[in-house]
Amino acid sequence: MQTFNFRVSAVAVACAFVSTVTLAQDATLTNPAISGVLDGYYQNTERPMAEREEGFGLGHTELALSANIDDMFYGKLTAVVETHGSETEVGLEEAFIQTLAIPAGFSVRAGRFLSDVGYLNNQHVHTDAFTDRPAAYRAFLGSHYFDDGVRLDYVAPTDLYWAMGVEAFKGESMRAEDEHGERDFKSLGVYTAYTKLGGDIGDSSSWMLGLSYLRNENGRLTAHEEHEDEVVAEDEHEHDHSHAAMYTGENTYIADFVYKWAPRGNYKYQHLTVSGEYFRVTDFAPLEEHVAGLAEPHGAEHAPDDQTGWYVSSVYQFSPNWSAGLRYGQVDTQELHDEHFDSQKLKETEVSLAWHHSHFSTVRLQYTNQQGTNFDGIEDDNVITLQYVMTLGAHGAHQF
Amino acid sequence: MRINSKFIKASCAAIALTMASGAQAKLNIFACEPEYAALAKELAPDAKIYSATTAMQDPHQVQARPSLIAKMRQADLAVCAGADLEVGWLPMLQMKSANAKVRSTEKGLFFAAEHIDTLDKLDNVDRSMGDVHAKGNPHLHFDPERLLLVANALSSKLVQLDPDSKAEYEAALADFSTRWKAAISQWQVMAAPLKGKKVIGYHTSFRYLYNWLGIEQVGDLEPKPGLPPSTSHLADLQNRAKQGDVMAITVASYQDERGANWLGERTQLPVQVLPMSVGGNDDSQDLFSLYQSVITLLLNLNK
Repeated sequence: MQTFNFRVSAVAVACAFVSTVTLAQDATLTNPAISGVLDGYYQNTERPMAEREEGFGLGHTELALSANIDDMFYGKLTAVVETHGSETEVGLEEAFIQTLAIPAGFSVRAGRFLSDVGYLNNQHVHTDAFTDRPAAYRAFLGSHYFDDGVRLDYVAPTDLYWAMGVEAFKGESMRAEDEHGERDFKSLGVYTAYTKLGGDIGDSSSWMLGLSYLRNENGRLTAHEEHEDEVVAEDEHEHDHSHAAMYTGENTYIADFVYKWAPRGNYKYQHLTVSGEYFRVTDFAPLEEHVAGLAEPHGAEHAPDDQTGWYVSSVYQFSPNWSAGLRYGQVDTQELHDEHFDSQKLKETEVSLAWHHSHFSTVRLQYTNQQGTNFDGIEDDNVITLQYVMTLGAHGAHQF
Repeated sequence: MRINSKFIKASCAAIALTMASGAQAKLNIFACEPEYAALAKELAPDAKIYSATTAMQDPHQVQARPSLIAKMRQADLAVCAGADLEVGWLPMLQMKSANAKVRSTEKGLFFAAEHIDTLDKLDNVDRSMGDVHAKGNPHLHFDPERLLLVANALSSKLVQLDPDSKAEYEAALADFSTRWKAAISQWQVMAAPLKGKKVIGYHTSFRYLYNWLGIEQVGDLEPKPGLPPSTSHLADLQNRAKQGDVMAITVASYQDERGANWLGERTQLPVQVLPMSVGGNDDSQDLFSLYQSVITLLLNLNK
């Protein structure tokens, strides 16, 4: 039996090999695209809530495989290798299937994939014009929110682009911090709904607007019962680099816009992208019955403000070889300390300059000035990053 | 704007409803480039045709922007050059538009390059060679004979998708073929003095045109396909031009003229912008006038 199995699998392997070779010759949209992304950097210090550490390091190193599975399904697998200190972690960022043949503009995606909320979230980080996601993303979505779940998407048959969708996710990485480790989290934790509108203005300009809502069943903080967590609070920064959101709430609202301009719509030589997003995260305080003791002395008017974050970014590719970016963003969050909330603020002003030898290679220098009111223990700082991002292989197209 | 277009659509729908049920189905055609919009217009004059790009846009580098997703969502047929010309944006449009009709060439997807023999196919492709097309040069619309083959295949595709209008499509093809063949003969006579001329070009945009007319592109402003002209490469071309046999420097309507002008000033060679497609200059209103314009511009250089 074993020999038989071996033979069968040998044949299967051979077939797989042969078909890959044939498809590579006959490369079209059905060709399995295999691609890698190499990301390396040197950074003088750290940005709060970001993944990149001080010194030399490897960033989002990615290996992706995608293809139409048959006439009904498309599949993609993206493995990400990240190093943190001496640790090397291999993670699955995407492993999804998507339907190709549902009529009337509907499609379903299932598995692990990037949520379609906001503008940047469904884009791969290596396509960004900056080395890290804006602070709002790092605070509320764990840099980029991918999860196991399912999506239903619909595109309307109108000349004005109008798409809408709903998603349901496991939501593990969006769970509120649970210091005592004894909380019962809901296993179906996150639901989202989004809509996007877009179009052109003449030959040269294009735009898109989005509105998203994210319901996080596990977004509320746990009430403090005992104050024995001084130590926990201290070493918070030393947490393992997970992709968990640092600040959560039950309801997150996101508004986003992007505007792109190129002379006569010709993106080859120069183009400008202006984009921005606004986040509001509400209902993060522990439920009242648990906090009765803490709410009383202050009264209702002392309830913490909503957590908010936003950024505006402008990237100008002024020649095929050079692009420059300017981004300002800030995030206001509330951190629960014992019996009260401390508000924290982080402001980031960032400038990046990138050299592109071709579409596939980028070397970037970025300067960040960060100013925070004791955000993650960081007062103010200047961060300089020198980074390369290079893609090899048949890399898929990127979204608008 | 939006209300207007909705109103127009609503009235069109109303008119369609009031007309006899046997009325011709109106195909909705998404063309990746203006030359294929123009060809579709010749072969399916009644169709609703949308061109995703203009002759002023590099078809290699198009954004999969929302308006294109919306247009593709409604298309019955997508007509593209193929040979990976649109590989950077077409798959994304197909994915985002969720329109199964235009996903496979068995149904409503048409790649012109699949119906002809492309020039410059490569057996081995490596990114160090630049942004090359393994399946050959996709700018095939400047070979009139090949374009006729494409027209035949596209007409069959139209019949496949809309068999009720078979007679109309066949009549349109016959009419186009007759006019096109007559035009080819005229162009060949007209362009005869260009045979054996040498040019320096930008990319292999006019590979098929030069192949057809017997023009030789002896230098390329791009050091490698997809890479912008570099100073050292331009200096090499300057040396090449010293041989004195080059007629002109040509660039396509969507290409940057700076490198060409730099070289033109140093070599005293004329720089000529040629329309890459329909709409690339004022004279190029359809495929016939596009060819006429390009040949006239080249002949003027030769005077």
